[in-house]
Amino acid sequence: MHVGIIFFLVILGSVLFHIFTPWYWTDVASNWGGMDDTITLTFWIGGGVFIAVCLFMVYCVFKFSYKKDRKAEYKPEDKKLEKILTWATTLGVAALLAPGLIIWNQYVNVPKNAIEIDVMAWQWGWQYRLPGEDGKLGTTKVVNINDNNPFGINLDDPFGNDDVMIQSDVINLENNRPVKILLRSVDVLHNWYVPQFRAKMDAVPGIVTYYWFEPNKTGEFEVLCAEYCGVGHYAMRGGVEVQDKQDYDNWLQQQETFSDLIAKQKILENEKTKLAKK
Amino acid sequence: MSDLKIEGYEFKPGFKGMAKDTGSDQTMFKGVHWGKAMMWIFLLSDTFIFSCFLISYMKGRGSTIIDWPNPSEVFGLHVFGVDVPLLLIAIMTFVLITSSGTMALAVKYGYEKNKKMCGWLILATAIGGLTFVGMQAFEWSKLIHEGVRPWENPFGAPQFGSFFFMITGFHGTHVSIGVIFLFIYAYKTFAGHYDEGKRGWFTSMKGDYVEIEILGLYWHFVDLVWVFIFAFFYLW
Amino acid sequence: MSEDFNDNKTIQAQSSETISGGGSGITPDMDYVRPAEVGEQDLYHGHSFITKWIFCQDAKVIGVQYFLLATFTGIIGLILSWLMRLQLGFPGLAPFMTAEHYYQFVTMHGMIMVVYFLTALFLGGFGNYLIPLMVGARDMVFPYLNMVSFWSFFVAVGVLLASFFVPGGPTGSGWTLYPPQAILEGTPGSGYGIMLMCISLILFVAGFTMGGLNYLITVLQARTRGMTLMRMPLTVWGIFTATVLAMLAFPALLVGALMMSLDNVLGTSFFMPTILKAGEVLEYGGGSPILFQHLFWFFGHPEVYIVALPAFGIISDLISVHARKNIFGYRMMVWAIVGIGALSFFVWAHHMYVSGMNPWFGFFFATTTLIIAVPTAMKVYNWILTLWRGNIRLNTVMLWCLGFIVTFVNGGITGIFLGNVSVDVPLSDTYFVIAHFHMVMGIAPLMVIMGAVYHWFPLVAGRFLDEKLGKWHFWLTFLGAYSIYFPMHYLGFIGVPRRYFEMYDSPYVTSAVGMNEFISLAAFIVGAAQFILIYNIVKTLKTGKPAGHNPWQACSLEWLTPTVPPEHGNWGDRLPTVHRWAYDYSVPGAKEDFITQTTPPSEVAHTKVEKT
Repeated sequence: MHVGIIFFLVILGSVLFHIFTPWYWTDVASNWGGMDDTITLTFWIGGGVFIAVCLFMVYCVFKFSYKKDRKAEYKPEDKKLEKILTWATTLGVAALLAPGLIIWNQYVNVPKNAIEIDVMAWQWGWQYRLPGEDGKLGTTKVVNINDNNPFGINLDDPFGNDDVMIQSDVINLENNRPVKILLRSVDVLHNWYVPQFRAKMDAVPGIVTYYWFEPNKTGEFEVLCAEYCGVGHYAMRGGVEVQDKQDYDNWLQQQETFSDLIAKQKILENEKTKLAKK
Repeated sequence: MSDLKIEGYEFKPGFKGMAKDTGSDQTMFKGVHWGKAMMWIFLLSDTFIFSCFLISYMKGRGSTIIDWPNPSEVFGLHVFGVDVPLLLIAIMTFVLITSSGTMALAVKYGYEKNKKMCGWLILATAIGGLTFVGMQAFEWSKLIHEGVRPWENPFGAPQFGSFFFMITGFHGTHVSIGVIFLFIYAYKTFAGHYDEGKRGWFTSMKGDYVEIEILGLYWHFVDLVWVFIFAFFYLW
Repeated sequence: MSEDFNDNKTIQAQSSETISGGGSGITPDMDYVRPAEVGEQDLYHGHSFITKWIFCQDAKVIGVQYFLLATFTGIIGLILSWLMRLQLGFPGLAPFMTAEHYYQFVTMHGMIMVVYFLTALFLGGFGNYLIPLMVGARDMVFPYLNMVSFWSFFVAVGVLLASFFVPGGPTGSGWTLYPPQAILEGTPGSGYGIMLMCISLILFVAGFTMGGLNYLITVLQARTRGMTLMRMPLTVWGIFTATVLAMLAFPALLVGALMMSLDNVLGTSFFMPTILKAGEVLEYGGGSPILFQHLFWFFGHPEVYIVALPAFGIISDLISVHARKNIFGYRMMVWAIVGIGALSFFVWAHHMYVSGMNPWFGFFFATTTLIIAVPTAMKVYNWILTLWRGNIRLNTVMLWCLGFIVTFVNGGITGIFLGNVSVDVPLSDTYFVIAHFHMVMGIAPLMVIMGAVYHWFPLVAGRFLDEKLGKWHFWLTFLGAYSIYFPMHYLGFIGVPRRYFEMYDSPYVTSAVGMNEFISLAAFIVGAAQFILIYNIVKTLKTGKPAGHNPWQACSLEWLTPTVPPEHGNWGDRLPTVHRWAYDYSVPGAKEDFITQTTPPSEVAHTKVEKT
C-alpha cells in the first residue's frame, strides 16, 4: 500500500515542483519565442503522458497487488488496443515534430537583411568583426593572423579594408535588426551562446558556421561558451549589448576599421624608423 | 548445400524457406557450422570498419585545401626507361586474386579429404599473400623514399599519405594475419590434424576441414576489400 | 588431456517418443519436438583453481567475472561523480579540485559509466550468464574465445585506469573526446591520457567483438530443441539485438579512436584543421573535426541502445514474473526491440544539431529520432498493461521495476525535447541534457540492473538477498536519484551550460546555488546507498535464506536447471526440450499460476493456453 502512496507522492511532487519552481526560463530576448512555444507544447503533451502513465502504474499497484487467491488475467495480446495506442502515439509525435521542423526551417533560412557578424573564437576568448560600408566581410585565413592582422583578413581582398574590428569580448547589436552570426574558431570547438537569445551553434576550426537571430530587447547579456573547449571553458565568457538604432550607430562610429589599424601601424613604424635614425 | 538433410525438417526454397528457417527451433542457418556463422558475422563487423575508413577517406579527400596528388603518377613505376602507371598495383591485385582462387580450390580438396592437394594449395595461397605483403612493403618504401609520410606529402595534400598508409596498413595487417594462419593451417593439414580431429593448441577445439573453409571466407573477404581499396585509391 | 572433455559422452538425437512421456491418453504427436540437429557440445571442464575460476571457459563464471570487474569500475565512476558534485555543490571545499581535475573526472566518469560499466555489465555480465541458460545451451558456443573476451576487457580496464598515473593524468576532453581539443594542450591529459584512452577503447572493442560473436551465434545456432526465436525470453532478445548493434557500431568507434591516435602520435591531420595556438600555427591542416563527431556518434547513439535494449528485455521479464502475468503483446515487444535497434543507426546526428554540420540534416534526423519514440512508447504501454489485472508481488524486484518505469518514462519524454531539432537548440549543451541522459540511460538501466541482481541472485548464489535491506536500498536510490535529476532539468531551462567547472559569477545562475547544493547532497546519499547492496551480498552469500529450485515460480529455462546454482554444462545429462513461450503465467485452468517452458502440452491439455 505504502508503495503506491510513495509513487503517487513522487508524481505529485514533480507537478508541484513545476508549479512552484523559482528556476525557469530567462525572458526570451530574441525572435525565437517560437522555440519556447514548442518547448511548452512538448512539455504539456509529454508531461501529460508522463503523469498518465505513472498514475496508471500507481493505480495498478493499488488495485492488483498480490492476493493469494486471485489469479492474474491471461491475455497474451490485444491487437486492437495495440493498434489504437500505436496510432495515437504516432499522431502525438507528429504533432510535436511538425512545429519543431517549421521553426528549424526558419532557423536555417537567414533573412536577406541580416547584418553579418564575424565571431572569432579561441582558447579562451572572443572577438568580433562587422562589415564596413560595403556591407561585406573580407575573407580570412588562420595563417594570416598576427599582431598587425588580428582577424587574419586576406590583405588582397578589397572587402576587408573597411571591416570594423572589435577587439573586445563585448559586442553591441542593434535592436530589432536580424544578425547572422558567422562563427569561426582558430583552435578548438567553441559555441557562442546567449541563453536569452535561445539560439546557438558550434564554432568549428576549419569551417565557418552560422545562425541568426533578431534581438528584441535592449540591455546587456552574457555570452557563454557552450561547447567544451578545454580547461578554460567555464571562464570563456563575453557580452552583448543590445541598443536602439541611435545608440548603436554612435557606438559603431567609434570603432576602428581594418584600414585605420593599418594606417596606425604605418605611423607607428614610421616613428620607429625615425627614432632609429635619431 | 542442396543435399543437406535434417531429420524431421523439410527445407523449402526461396524466401519462404528463409522465413521457415528463421521461425524454426535450434538453428537459424540450417546445417551451418558455428565457426562459419561466426566468421560471417565477424566479417560483417569488419565490413563496417573498412566502410568507416573508406567513408572517412572520401570525406577527407573531398575537404582538403591542397589538391590531391594524381594517383597514376604517384603510383607509377619507371621500368626499362618507360613510365608505366599502376604497374606494381596491377601485379599485386593479380597475385591476391589468384590466391583467392587457390584458396577456393584448397577448400574443395579439403572437403574431399585430399590432404596433399589441400595442403599445397593452402601453401600456395600463403605464398601469394606473402608476395602481396612484400610488394606492398616495396611500394611503401618507395613512397617513403620519395618523401611521402603519414603527416606530409610532397605531391599534394598531406591527407593522401595519412589515409594511404593507414588504410593499406590496416588491410596489410589483415593480409599478414591471414598469411600466418594459412601457414599454420597448411602445417595442420599436412600433419593430418583435420583427418584425425586433433585438438587445437589454443582453443582445444577438434580439428575439422570446415576450418579451412572458415579461413577461406576470411581470405576472400580480404581480397574483396582490396578491390575497393584499389578502386578508391588507385583509380579515383 | 582427454579426461577434461566429455569426448566419450555422445548423446544421440532423441526421437519424440522418449521425451513426451505419453501415457496420458492424449496423442503423442502433441508433444512432438524435432530431434536435435547438432551433436552434443564439446566442453572443456576446468579442474584446477586457475582453470575453474580465473581463466575459466564457463560462460557463467565469465559472466560473474564481467559483473564484478564492471562493478569495480563502476564504483570508481561513482567516486568520481562524488568529487564532481562536491565541486559543483560546494566549490572550493576540496582544495585539490582544480579545473583540470574536474574535467578529468567528468571524462572518466562518463566513459567508465557508459562503456566499462553499463555495456560490460549488461552484455558481458548478464549476457554471458543468462543467454546459454535461457536458450537451453550448455555454454556459449566458443568458450575459449569467451574467456579471451573477458581478459581483453580486463586489460582494457587496466589501461584505462593506468591513465590516472601517467604524466598529465587521464584525458579531460569529455567522454565524447572531440578533437581538436582532445589532443591539444589546454585540455588535461592531451598527450598520454588520450593515447591510453584510445588504446583502452580499441582493446575493449576487440574484446567485445569476441564476446559479441559468442552471444550472437549462441542465440542463432545453439538453441535447444523446441526453442524458436519467438519463444525466447525478451531478455535474450534485448541482449541479442544490442549485440548486433554493438557489432555494427563499435567499428566506427574503433576507426575514430585509431585515427585520433594517429593524429596524436604521428601528427596526421585526419581531424585537425589549421590551428593557431599561442600565436603559432601548428603543423596540422586540412582535417575535419566534424568527421570525428560523425564517427563517434555513429557509434555513440547505437551505444545508448546497446545499454537500453538489454534493460528493456530484462525489465520485461522481471515485470512479467512478479506480476504473475504474461508480458503483454510479446510479439510487439520483440518487433519494438528489433525496430528500435534498426532505427538507432539512422539517428546519430541528433547529437550534432548545433555542431556546425550542414543544418539541412536536421530535418532528416529529427524525423527519424521522433519515429523511434513510437516503438519505445509501445514498450512502455506494454509494461504498464502487463501490470494491469496482474497479481503484483510488491517485493524488491518489483519496486525496482516500478522505479524503472517512472525514471524511464521521464527520461524518454525529455528525449523528445532533445530529439526535436529546434527544441534542442536552446537546450543542447545545458544541464537539461545531463538530466535527460542520466535519467534515461543512467538511472533507468541502473534500476534494471538492481532489479536483475535481486531477481537472479538466488540463481547465481542459491540464496535470497535480504528483502529489508533491499527495500532500503531501493527507496534511497530511487527517491535520491529522482531528486537529483528531476530538478536538474530546470537548471537546463535556465540555460546553465554543462561542463562548467564553476559559474556562480553569472547573474541568472546565482539562483541555482541552492539547487546545486541540494543535488550534491542527494548524490552523496544515493552513492552511499549503493554500498547497502554490497553489504547485502556479502551478508547473504553465506547466511541468506536458501532459494531452492525456481524460487520465483518463473517459466523460463534458466530456473529449470537440475542443480541450483547451475553447474558447468548447465543441464546435467539431458538438454531441456521447450514446448512453449516463456510467459505462461496464470493460465486459466492450470493448477499453479505458471507453466514452465519445458512442460509438455499433454500435461496441461485441459488449460486454455493461447500462445505457444
